[in-house]
Amino acid sequence: MTAALDAPVRPAPVAPIRSASLSFLRLLRIELRRSPVVLILPLIAALFWYDSYRASMTQQPLWMLRTFWNMGQAHTIIDFGPFVAGMAAWIGSRDGRRRTTDLVTAAVRPRWTVALVSWAATAIWAVAAYLAFVGVLFGVYAAEGVRGEPPWWWVAVGVTAVVAFSAAGFAVGTFFPSRFAAPLAAFGGFLAMVMSAQTGFKNPSGWALILPTNSQGNYEQQDTGIFYPYLPDLPIARILFLAGILAACLGLLGLPARAGGRWLRRTAALVTLAGVATTATAVVLVGTAQVDLRGVVIPALHDAANDRPIAYTPVCGPAAQTQVCLNPAYGRYLTDVTTALAPALAEVSGLPGAPQRVTQIAATDTGGPAAMAISGSPPVLLFGLGAEASLPGSNGFQDGTTTTKDFEGILRVQFAQAFLGAGTAGDTPAQQAVEAALLQRAGTTLADQPRLEEIARLGPGPKLSATGPVYDAAKRLAAMAGTAWHAWLAANLTALRSGALTLEQLP
Amino acid sequence: MNVELADLTRRFGRTRAVDAVSLRAGPGVFGLLGPNGAGKTSLLRMMATVLTPTSGRMRLLGRDPGAFPQRREIRRRLGYLPQNLGYYPGFTVFEFVEYFALLKEMPPGQVSRAVAAAVERVGLGDRARAKLRTLSGGMLRRAGIAQAIVNDPELLLLDEPTAGLDPEQRVAFRALLREVGQRAAVVVSTHLVEDVGAVCAEVALMDAGRIVFHGTPAELTARGEDSGAAGDAPLERGYSAVLSASRTAAVARS
Repeated sequence: MTAALDAPVRPAPVAPIRSASLSFLRLLRIELRRSPVVLILPLIAALFWYDSYRASMTQQPLWMLRTFWNMGQAHTIIDFGPFVAGMAAWIGSRDGRRRTTDLVTAAVRPRWTVALVSWAATAIWAVAAYLAFVGVLFGVYAAEGVRGEPPWWWVAVGVTAVVAFSAAGFAVGTFFPSRFAAPLAAFGGFLAMVMSAQTGFKNPSGWALILPTNSQGNYEQQDTGIFYPYLPDLPIARILFLAGILAACLGLLGLPARAGGRWLRRTAALVTLAGVATTATAVVLVGTAQVDLRGVVIPALHDAANDRPIAYTPVCGPAAQTQVCLNPAYGRYLTDVTTALAPALAEVSGLPGAPQRVTQIAATDTGGPAAMAISGSPPVLLFGLGAEASLPGSNGFQDGTTTTKDFEGILRVQFAQAFLGAGTAGDTPAQQAVEAALLQRAGTTLADQPRLEEIARLGPGPKLSATGPVYDAAKRLAAMAGTAWHAWLAANLTALRSGALTLEQLP
Repeated sequence: MNVELADLTRRFGRTRAVDAVSLRAGPGVFGLLGPNGAGKTSLLRMMATVLTPTSGRMRLLGRDPGAFPQRREIRRRLGYLPQNLGYYPGFTVFEFVEYFALLKEMPPGQVSRAVAAAVERVGLGDRARAKLRTLSGGMLRRAGIAQAIVNDPELLLLDEPTAGLDPEQRVAFRALLREVGQRAAVVVSTHLVEDVGAVCAEVALMDAGRIVFHGTPAELTARGEDSGAAGDAPLERGYSAVLSASRTAAVARS
């Protein structure tokens, strides 16, 4: 010690108010530099890669599908939440664990503001890491040419969730300053998300929609971000919910007597109340939600502008002299679609009701993910590909791979049902037989058809097999000469479609 | 007067940690002596405004610490080294002192220079960039002293400041205390009587929460003369004699 060598620096006793922000920035810089959050980032990165990144890469190259697992089912939040809560609790409990409470209390700055700086550093690291990881994820998608629109609203939900987890964890650490605070907060965060997800599975509507890892909601709607924008109603409600929790937790830190002066504590109480009110408002709002094919609509938050479809220039190609047009997001499947439909369209060419054009529409507008319908004059075949598991290629870890041959077969089955029968259900035996014959003639064998029909229904149905009187009749029809088959169809199509024709009346 | 205490009492349950203590101290080094459990730390914590008195009056630097705005003004002019110094192991010495300088609301423009000076004054200039977790106990204690003096306090409270310091460091520390004591009131709580004898102009001896002696080190030394009290040094014998007399009187009262 060199008491005699250096003259002491005597600062001005009162710091000017304008220098307060500079002081906060310097405090924040120290906290950021020494934040232990950095230490767990490799662990989060590994989990993020395994859970959010790896799983999504097996999905079709559409934003809606790629991000369904990590954003729609909130796995990015699950990957981050417990770790952030635990680390925030560790930092929140720092003064208690490190026995610096007296030192901090004896300083001028109110403990609430000091705590907020420590928390802010934690939250900044967590959010920066979240955005960096999601940025890499989205960057990879973009580099692969994934089509559609990124779900920015759901990224905002993730960011808010990460911040809310940090605030909740910090509060746990502050009020229970022990070495067990961190694991308890982390486990509590994990438990909350598991319960949130489980409650979500059981409650596809109502208050449970507010839970951040409830996978129900408008994210699941077909063709979201392709034909229609992501509806922001539910994300906004969830952001409100999480922001309320965040405010309430931060406000709680300022309530104890040691946290600061009377005005500061009153402010903290107001912040807490505002947080609770915001959370409650979000829960009430989501209780008014209407769930339809387009997504979750919350009247008080809904903007009609989001109901308007996204403008696009279709990509088109010929299939048996019929123009087939798709949304450019599905452009990579154009060849598969034309290849699938060309033989079937050739079989019905010139017949009444034969489509003059084939146009993809939003799966939500077809009433189902992959339904087809023929309407208008001249007739137009409208169909939805939908972001579903029937697209050719890998369809994620849940649904496996769909071969191009199966994809073609499914489209033909749907076309046959749309052209000849009543759609995916309720065909008469005669309609079924003619459909089967049409498919056989178009290149989809009778043996394959039951399986493809089952996939085309997109759900479990009666076990089918290519046997029995329907298939006997189908074999006879398929064996007819082309001109005879065409002539028979032309003569009997109206009766067949109306259901008046019986199996016995078939040739 | 920098410190004015009147009938200051602090209870923890049924225990009176500090029992009706009255003291006045101005600029200079004031020694607070006493055995373990005498109430020195509780008294210092009250003076540091981190512990609220159960009863009594206290004015520090001419202000009432019970009122929030005045308490802030006291804290702005206060330096405090707790007995059990807590620290953040991941911080460097410089960051640790800078952190508390900023918590004391020092003007940001002056912080870096003040921190560097404080670190230098405690002899840690060459370890300023070292993480606290890498320091020895004595060095940590000096880092604690640096954060206490960084704002050039008008009231400096040091609880067992020489614990862990080697003899050379203690000598340097005493010089530092003398120098700070020229402008500020320095209250040093210790059970090491040689520290008191070396630097303190005034000394109070506490036992069982009470002040049992208040005077100069010379007066305390005089109490030990011809008393037959135990101790290797004159001041130690005075310390022992006062304590012994106080305890005898307490037994007689009860």
